[in-house]
Amino acid sequence: MIYLSMTLSKILRYIFLAVFNALIVYSIPLTLAYESWFFLSLIVVVGLLVNFVYFTEKFQPMKWILPGMIFMLSFVVFPAVYNTYVSFTNWSTGHILTKTQAINVLEDRVYTPEDQKGIEFEIYILQDSNLNFYYVAYLDVQNILFGKAVTNDEIFSTSLATHEPSLFNNGEFVPPDGFNLLTGKEQVANSSSLQELSLVIDKNTRAQLYKISVFGASTGRLSSTSQLYTYDDVNDSLVNNATNTICPVVKDNFECEGTEIEPGWRVFVGGENYRKLFSSQRIRGPLNVVAKWTFQFALLSVLLSFAVGLFLSMILNKDGLKFQRIYRAIFILPYAIPAFVSALVWKGLLNPDYGLINTWLGPIYDLIDMEPVKWLTTKESARTAVLLVNTWLGFPYMFLITTGALQSIPRELIEAAKVDGANGLQSFWRITFPLLMVSISPLLIGSFAYNFNNFTLIFLLSGGGPPIVGSDVSVGWTDILISFTYKLAISGGRGNLFGLASSVTIIIFALVLIISAISFRYTKRLERVYGNI
Amino acid sequence: MKTNKLRFIVFLLMFSLVAVACGGDTADDAAEAPDTTEAPQETLAAPATTAPPPEVIVVWAEEKVAEALNPLVGAYEAAAGVDVEVVAYDFGAIRTDVQTAGPAGEGPDVFLGAHDWVGELAANGVVSPLDLGSVASDIFEVGVTAFSYAGEVYGFPYATEAIAMYYNADLVDSVPTTWEEAKAACDAAGTEFCVGTPSNDAYHNHPFVASAGGYVFASEGGFDASDVGLDNAGAIASADYLDGLVKNGTVTNTDYGGALSNFQEGRALFWMTGPWARNDASAVNYGVGLIPQFDGNPATPFVGVRGAMVSSFSEKQVLAQSFILDFFATVEVQQAMYESDPRLPATKSLFAIVEAADPIAAQFAASASNGIPMPNIPEMGSVWGPMADALNVIRTQAYGTNEETGVTISNASDAVKLAAEQIRNAIAGG
Repeated sequence: MIYLSMTLSKILRYIFLAVFNALIVYSIPLTLAYESWFFLSLIVVVGLLVNFVYFTEKFQPMKWILPGMIFMLSFVVFPAVYNTYVSFTNWSTGHILTKTQAINVLEDRVYTPEDQKGIEFEIYILQDSNLNFYYVAYLDVQNILFGKAVTNDEIFSTSLATHEPSLFNNGEFVPPDGFNLLTGKEQVANSSSLQELSLVIDKNTRAQLYKISVFGASTGRLSSTSQLYTYDDVNDSLVNNATNTICPVVKDNFECEGTEIEPGWRVFVGGENYRKLFSSQRIRGPLNVVAKWTFQFALLSVLLSFAVGLFLSMILNKDGLKFQRIYRAIFILPYAIPAFVSALVWKGLLNPDYGLINTWLGPIYDLIDMEPVKWLTTKESARTAVLLVNTWLGFPYMFLITTGALQSIPRELIEAAKVDGANGLQSFWRITFPLLMVSISPLLIGSFAYNFNNFTLIFLLSGGGPPIVGSDVSVGWTDILISFTYKLAISGGRGNLFGLASSVTIIIFALVLIISAISFRYTKRLERVYGNI
Repeated sequence: MKTNKLRFIVFLLMFSLVAVACGGDTADDAAEAPDTTEAPQETLAAPATTAPPPEVIVVWAEEKVAEALNPLVGAYEAAAGVDVEVVAYDFGAIRTDVQTAGPAGEGPDVFLGAHDWVGELAANGVVSPLDLGSVASDIFEVGVTAFSYAGEVYGFPYATEAIAMYYNADLVDSVPTTWEEAKAACDAAGTEFCVGTPSNDAYHNHPFVASAGGYVFASEGGFDASDVGLDNAGAIASADYLDGLVKNGTVTNTDYGGALSNFQEGRALFWMTGPWARNDASAVNYGVGLIPQFDGNPATPFVGVRGAMVSSFSEKQVLAQSFILDFFATVEVQQAMYESDPRLPATKSLFAIVEAADPIAAQFAASASNGIPMPNIPEMGSVWGPMADALNVIRTQAYGTNEETGVTISNASDAVKLAAEQIRNAIAGG
């Protein structure tokens, strides 16, 4: 009887929860295996939250909000928080690993004394009945060495390799009794164990398997019995065994006699990146220019595309206009083409020497006796071009939203204004426009924020160029903050400067936040003023 | 009351699903248990027959190379008893993703990439040194230099590339040895443009600054970031020379796409670019020659080298090394790779095969032999921008005074001096 009372929605919900919980439980051992405590806690919290909300009847609204919240947290809040974290670290080329990883990489390095470098020899791998591996290293006819292959822990406790010329008969290798000679295939299958083993030749020298050859004899190399670096965790320093020097930690690297040992590791550097941003004249100089242009670019882009979009939608909003739909469809076309395609097409059209724009404008240049405009190569022409193209890309959106908003304005209001004796212009500015702004202005703010970070257009159309001649860093006249950040991130003095670039994005974030907050407050006032019309 | 019972049932259902999801292994073990008890002694006594699951070598390669490599690895898989998994990867993404995936325990064992990544990857500790051993003697020196960083070699070079000069064989017989003759040839042919090569691109323009003694970084025994030679006498002379070529219309302002279509449509007589463009160039009857000399100095293009590298986060270091040296480096594999994705050979044995069969490839190889490898040190990141900017200023003749900084660039030598200064500042400022 119970089953009959289960509605379809309940069945679906419980099936979903069952699958969800199964996935949650399944992923817990995985996070444990990778020792990823952050994800473990995240999974547990999310899992408990979802079960709690959907199994009880107390949080009805939460059932709708929770999925959105989870997605927002994972795709908006988490990246933002992570970005903030990176901006406080030294994350850059040479410092991308954790300290433990860097030490592991360094401790894995072996070295070969200068006089033994480049010596290659054939190596034969044997296995006894107890599955222990034995190496035979054929250094030359006089030096045929045989012994048990041992791991790094046993190197200094094992017996040394012995000379066994008898293993070769007329240059042919004859495995001793009780041993099984491994073929190339078997060596490959055991390569994970073999790469940890060495044949100790004397106190300082060992032979290691270097190249497994499946088509012939495998190759060995000589190296020192000690690793190149040993980490001393008591003094937190590195010992270079080749030169016997101690390399202490200097900030985020080990330093051996004044030279940094690569790789270094990530550390928390506090406000260092922000300090650099504001104190370094190299960066601050262009930052002023770029910030100013970013505001101009975003503002003008919104205004121009809004003006064009509004103008077109007003014209096409006439009743009884023939082919109204076709016109509208045509004007929406630029919006239907991906922005990156348009940007690249425009780049070609704007080429000053053979682009279509200058070819078409040719007669006009001749008529008014003017030098052809060198599009994208001078400050003014590049900035104009960027704005023109962005207007082209942006107006269909504005056209769409204003068309929608215009149709929602009650016709009686305009008619009433007409009766009161207002002319067309008056009724537009006094009635239509203010009402339009109530619904459109949040979208304009959104568009401003979008254009503030319009990386695609700048990167593809002008690449930020033309260069600001004489600045200390590579920066161009049409670079906006985000494209400048990109240049800063990838073309730092020594490769990538992710930490520094993150700190610029945090500043951009703060700017956009402030502007949006102010504008939304202003919008609210608009709504209050016009709300009761 | 009703709901409580219902919940109990749902919990049961849920836990049965959970059990299925994470208990798969135990269920299998239980099912197989009787088999092992039947013959336990035999399995222990014959260890060689219980082969462990085959090792897997994960190789990241760009799509074209992966396509070329995929049919070849079967031979190695059979001989070595391993699975080679060739993953077609976006070329640029290999560079960034080995640095994130490796430390996270996800990356490849072997990856094929460009030599100019080596400095960054080695500084970040994500690539293992690869001692080439006996293979080294077969490799052109430029390849080994390209993959050397701080005294270690980090990859096996399998292909090189460098730009040379395409010519429209219907209009001209060969590439002249001097720029003056090139200009004269264009005037004689009456084409709209003479030499096409992108303006805003330090790679294609390198011969214009480096042929008469200029250099990006001094390269005696490894690249030295403290010695920038973009504003030495030779570089300034080359920049002035380029300025002259722009002024007399030998090279014009264009981008890669523009240079390509101009050459394809027969509107430009010459096209300065690399062997990757051979398919595009075949729209016309083309030939390839050396880039004209600069006052008797041969043009020095940047040489790019592609190679196979081992990730330092691979748990199969020896196997990965063996895959490269014992299989990938063999001339059979190199030749098969060349046939499906022709790039200039980096090994002498392959070059000997290719030279006779493909004279155009030989021309590119000759051009590369005059060139120098692109610096592979991480500091190169601070070179591309300023160098491209300076060349762009010369190529577009955008001389003038900057109203913000008050700096004037009145000629080509100012432009390269400024670029050198920017690079030095960037390196000093970190």
